Amino acid sequence: MFGYVRPRRDLLAQSEFDAYHAAYCGLCRTLGKQFGFRSRFLVNYDMTFLYLLRTSAAEPSGVRNCWCPARVCGRRACMQDAEGFLPAAAYTVILSYEKLLDNVRDESFLRSLPFRILTLLFRRAYRKASKLLPDFAALCERQLAALQELETARSPSIDATADAFARIVSGCVNDLSDPGLRRPMEQILYHTGRFLFLADALDDLKEDCAKDAYNPLRYRFSVSGGALTQADLDYLSQLTDSSVNLAGAALELLPMQANRILLENIIYYGFPAVFFAVKTGKFQARASLWHNERHKTDHTGEST
Amino acid sequence: MRDPYEVLGVSRTASDSEIKTAYRDLVKKYHPDNYANNPLADLASEKMKEINEAYDAITKSRGAGSSYQSGGYQSGGNQSYSYGYQSGGSASSPYAQVRSYINANQLDAADSLLNTAPTRDGEWYYLKGTIAYRRGWLDEARQHYQTACAMVPSNFEYQNALRTVQGGYTPYRQTNYQRSDMDEACNLCNALLCLNCLCGGGGCR
Repeated sequence: MFGYVRPRRDLLAQSEFDAYHAAYCGLCRTLGKQFGFRSRFLVNYDMTFLYLLRTSAAEPSGVRNCWCPARVCGRRACMQDAEGFLPAAAYTVILSYEKLLDNVRDESFLRSLPFRILTLLFRRAYRKASKLLPDFAALCERQLAALQELETARSPSIDATADAFARIVSGCVNDLSDPGLRRPMEQILYHTGRFLFLADALDDLKEDCAKDAYNPLRYRFSVSGGALTQADLDYLSQLTDSSVNLAGAALELLPMQANRILLENIIYYGFPAVFFAVKTGKFQARASLWHNERHKTDHTGEST
Repeated sequence: MRDPYEVLGVSRTASDSEIKTAYRDLVKKYHPDNYANNPLADLASEKMKEINEAYDAITKSRGAGSSYQSGGYQSGGNQSYSYGYQSGGSASSPYAQVRSYINANQLDAADSLLNTAPTRDGEWYYLKGTIAYRRGWLDEARQHYQTACAMVPSNFEYQNALRTVQGGYTPYRQTNYQRSDMDEACNLCNALLCLNCLCGGGGCR
């Protein structure tokens, strides 16, 4: 979706990083198998986190080499967990499709053309996924409409706008029945969603100011020249720190069997590093985790 | 019941002192103060109960008369943590009802009852902030906590809530990456709060 939820690679041992990569590849493979080859393009770091979180209470899964279309010749280590990957893949398809629809709604006819074409390409995958998770597709539509309403009203509340989005993200565990798992996961995902929203709003602030587009930060703080004052930036950092704390408090309540190091890395180190990079204008959403040399300045722009 | 050694995360061959250390670390992590106002406070309390039972079971089975009283760490058993630091005076006010709604996670009911309150004093802003905090609305929570602290600067509970929402205090985190100075100050605060509860002060239930 956004690429903001990612681990600090430089703080992971090679074996842990390999496990993360195998989960990413496993999600990609499941997307291809269940929702058609083109759905493989929807794989992303954010949804890899969702998979790792959702399966943290289960026994760790095995790894096997699989064919990877992104590598001309060669295979990649790929996690084998069809049961765990399927819902994560279905959530990925629905969220991506809803985001495309949202782009279609937001843009003018000509500008929305590429998104219209993409929605056609993913329509079949979306139908299959929304059959698996009928409530979630409805939740997405409801929350995006609420977000649209806040946008039209030019709401100055970053809480209300972030809440509309964060509820979508926390809805990604609605299918779990055990409250001992679901409730902490919901809290983690709610604050992940909140973090995503605030990081994205800050990242887009300059552009939105130039285009005179809606951005809750413009109405909540005093913005000059497309930037927040240092005091406001610090305040916003503290808000995201609080989200990290609340997500961390919830993480500690999960009966974790697997993925602990990866989840802790993403929440405790990944979030602050990404936010720091966004704050200093150095975040590159498209920067790949896979091609960076270890111990060099990493994708988040924060050197170690 | 789960294997008590598994609950404490130690092997069966662990020494008494290793068990005690593991137990203390877990108690520190899941202490009710760390989950004050957190919507998951009830799960943390269950976890504490499990840890205490596991520790009691191990010490009993080993037959060693431990001087470490595990029960002492429980703050009254159920999920009424946010009552802990309340001064006894306001028990008859409508705020007591709002607090019980908040503790039961009935935030909409708490909010609408609070909105009917005739005055907007420090307690009102504190409770408003707590409802926002439980919803994850941290910006609003912080504004309300700040107002509450400004109106009643001496209230420990309000100050603690404000400090938590400012993102400084992270006791359950094993790996600290920032703000150690803040942590120290807060640890002192919480130690005092703890002491206050243990000594039966402040209407602790």
